[in-house]
Amino acid sequence: MKNSDVCIIELKGLTKTFDDQQVLKGIDLKIYENEFLTLLGPSGCGKTTTLRIIAGFEEPDMGEVLFNGVEISAVPPYKREVNTVFQKYALFPHLDVFDNIAFGLNLKKMPQDVIEQKVKKMLSLVGLSGYENRDVISLSGGQQQRIAIARALVNEPKVLLLDEPLGALDARLRKEMQSELKKIQQEVGITFIYVTHDQEEALSMSDTVVVMKDGEIQQIGTPIDIYNEPENRFVASFIGESNIIEGNMLDDCLVKFDGFEFECVDKGFKPNEEVEVVLRPEDIDIIAKDFKKKTKIHGKVESVVFKGVHYEIMVATENRTYKIHTTDYFAPDLEVGLSFGPEDIHVMYTMGWTA
Amino acid sequence: MKRISKLSSGLYIFLCFAFFYLPILVTVIFSFNSSKSLTHFTGFSMRWYGELIQSSEIMSAVYVSLTIAVLATIISTALGTFTAIGLSKCRKVLREWTLNINNIPMMIPDIVMAVGLMILFSAASINKGYMTMLLAHICFCTPYVITSVYPKVRELDINIANAAMDLGATPWQALWKVIIPMIKPGIYAGVLLAFTMSIDDFVISYFVSGNGVKNISIVVYNMTKRTNPTMNALSTLLIGAIILITVIVNLAPRFKKTRFSKHLSKIAGVLGIILLISVLIFSYNTANLQNTLKVYNAGEYIEEALIDKFEEETGCKVIYETFDSNESMYTKINSGEEYDIIIPSDYMIERLIKEERIQPIDWERLENASNLMESILDKEYDPGNKYSVPYFWGSVGILYDKTKVDKADLKDGWDLLMNPKYKGNLYMYDSERDSFMIAMKALGLSLNTDKPEEIDRAYEWLLEQNRIMSPVYAGDDVIDNMISGNKALAVVYSGDAAYIITENPNLEYFEPHQGTNLWYDGMVITKNCKKTDLAHKFIDFFLDEKNALTNTQAVGYSSCITSAYEEMQKTDYEGVSAYTPRQGNEKDEVFKYQSQKTKEYCATLWTKIKAEGVR
Repeated sequence: MKNSDVCIIELKGLTKTFDDQQVLKGIDLKIYENEFLTLLGPSGCGKTTTLRIIAGFEEPDMGEVLFNGVEISAVPPYKREVNTVFQKYALFPHLDVFDNIAFGLNLKKMPQDVIEQKVKKMLSLVGLSGYENRDVISLSGGQQQRIAIARALVNEPKVLLLDEPLGALDARLRKEMQSELKKIQQEVGITFIYVTHDQEEALSMSDTVVVMKDGEIQQIGTPIDIYNEPENRFVASFIGESNIIEGNMLDDCLVKFDGFEFECVDKGFKPNEEVEVVLRPEDIDIIAKDFKKKTKIHGKVESVVFKGVHYEIMVATENRTYKIHTTDYFAPDLEVGLSFGPEDIHVMYTMGWTA
Repeated sequence: MKRISKLSSGLYIFLCFAFFYLPILVTVIFSFNSSKSLTHFTGFSMRWYGELIQSSEIMSAVYVSLTIAVLATIISTALGTFTAIGLSKCRKVLREWTLNINNIPMMIPDIVMAVGLMILFSAASINKGYMTMLLAHICFCTPYVITSVYPKVRELDINIANAAMDLGATPWQALWKVIIPMIKPGIYAGVLLAFTMSIDDFVISYFVSGNGVKNISIVVYNMTKRTNPTMNALSTLLIGAIILITVIVNLAPRFKKTRFSKHLSKIAGVLGIILLISVLIFSYNTANLQNTLKVYNAGEYIEEALIDKFEEETGCKVIYETFDSNESMYTKINSGEEYDIIIPSDYMIERLIKEERIQPIDWERLENASNLMESILDKEYDPGNKYSVPYFWGSVGILYDKTKVDKADLKDGWDLLMNPKYKGNLYMYDSERDSFMIAMKALGLSLNTDKPEEIDRAYEWLLEQNRIMSPVYAGDDVIDNMISGNKALAVVYSGDAAYIITENPNLEYFEPHQGTNLWYDGMVITKNCKKTDLAHKFIDFFLDEKNALTNTQAVGYSSCITSAYEEMQKTDYEGVSAYTPRQGNEKDEVFKYQSQKTKEYCATLWTKIKAEGVR
């Protein structure tokens, strides 16, 4: 769901090496106006480095950063039309809330009444009106977070960069801030580039998710694409939980695994190509009655764990143990069958490695 | 029980504070004393404050101390702060090595640093003076600043500078508007440390200074020869200033948000510029050596107004420096420091002649030469006074309290110091040469003997005296103690005796019949002096009858000028025998330059004698 087709930032073949370790191995990415784009990946995947290159804190070894079509990789951060919200906020403790937010405006030597007006507007945007003269150290983590966002947004950047901004907050506050951030983004109508290792955060806020691993982009897509059509085993296992099964593509829409042939919706593979099949735990149904007639895969309930909304049930079959999420309870040691439809089977190319 | 423990803890704290602050309190009280004594409060007066302000030497020392402290603080704070910030961005190995090396100057003794800097400046042939002192102070202050600032820099969020730049600040703006304000507490601590270290310093300043540039501690050190309550006045003012600063530092956070604080940086800037200009003027003045004369004299041994008068008369500038002993003077000139005129004692003059460090006096150029007393000329240390012109002279003798000492005992001469009646009631000089002189004279030997067996006999005499009498081996504090009548007997120089007697009429001075040490201090012109004309004028100036009288009145030592010598016996020192040392006694001798071997031998024995006293 892109809001615009105008590309504001384009990364071309970025590479970066720190102390003999290649952190980025050629990143190509287009970022559009008004887009909420998330760089998602485990720590060390290069997502923060990519962000820092866009902000100007690092220079790429090779490659280009185009901003509205202009190469800016050598432009210092203070001359770029982007602003950053840092992981630990990096607020200035010697200044009060007002002066923190007004920092950038003061540097631009704006008239004092304009500054005052803009700061007030920002404070109301982040829901902290009346906090002007508070000491930033006296604020809670969530409040500091909002100040950091206000401090960045008040400069009216074309792009806002957020480096794991919710990492230091507790779970409840994080949820609250997620929707708040999304709301703010829609309100100010600018591009957000968001870095996180939390897949749930990425899926719930983003227009586009970029999954990264070891300095390389694994998949770019909408949250739904990424979740439903993971392109490889890494994406599948990193985003949500899944059962990943090796199999063979017998024909278009026909895949074989665990000794059985299944109908599916995937096409375009070579005959008999080795593939990997993703079955999401919530897509599998457990059938206890007459299952031998209705299902191909049979097994025995190994364990049942209550997870709140659903049970997580492990079913041991001849070839493997399946993980299933269901709201129904099945007692351990019960003989059951597993059922799933063609649209629940996601076939991926194998990568030659195991997650 | 509880009350007792509360009481005792209160007492403990009281004693602690008393221990810390009593010396300061005494200093403050006696700065308002109307007399010169440091032990008897005779009445309130502001006399010493008046003298303090009038003393150009002290006032210029205050100026030197303060400007050096302020400049060294500013420069070392800037250096140290930037270094600390830079270090935090360095690779770990480099950072840790630098920090460890940074600790070394703080740990090594001052004296090592001092000698090192002195040698460095000499080797680089940098003229010692204001600049060298400033450089040295910057050098030893900077490590303290780094040590106090660095932990604050480490505490910073690693993204803090990035955050500032992200918001549009250039690297410089990020430094000034964010980094510096955030590490302010560390910088303030560094400033305070650097300033106190600089104001406090004596050892390093003493070694790296020259050309008459002296800070407060050097001046005070040179003044300790005589009790001088102006020092108390100066100390009191310093204490007051420090209390004021402490109060301001503690109250400052309350005025954080006022308008004043916004202008503070501008005020500081203006002050800085004024300081810099005054320093440039000062160093220009000291660097301008064209028409200057460098004079090196013992401390408290001249009427300073006479120097001003000489400068007025000749239009030249006199750089006047003082030493505390002939030996330290020798060390200083040996280290390459150059002077035009030095005023050492007889045996040292002999040594300087032998080592060809001084040039002959051109007596033709001394118009007032005829004013000199015949009887003190042409002595063995400088036959025919080829190289030296007498300045003051005197003897060594015994000062005794008429109310405590039996007149009949005086006939024993030096053996009076061995009379058990006065056990624990006498001061000896803590000087090996003077003490061995007494023993040798008591034994009927020459005080210039270098025969080990004779020295051993003198050693036995002193050792026995130590056992029988338990004397106190004292320095110049004898003067004040005798004025206060603390002990019955003391070995003193005649000039000091004369002064003490005028303050305490119960005392009397005599020179033992076995003979004593007669000494002569003389003005000499160094070999490297190029302004011989000016140098001769300076010497001639002190041979002038009026000037000589002024000088002897101020110092109290016996004048070498006939008219001044006679005038003093009729006026200030009427009836004070100490002003007129014995002349013509065959047993009296002048010190000769001791061989290094003899000197070391005596020094070893002297240490043993004093150690005996401790047991």
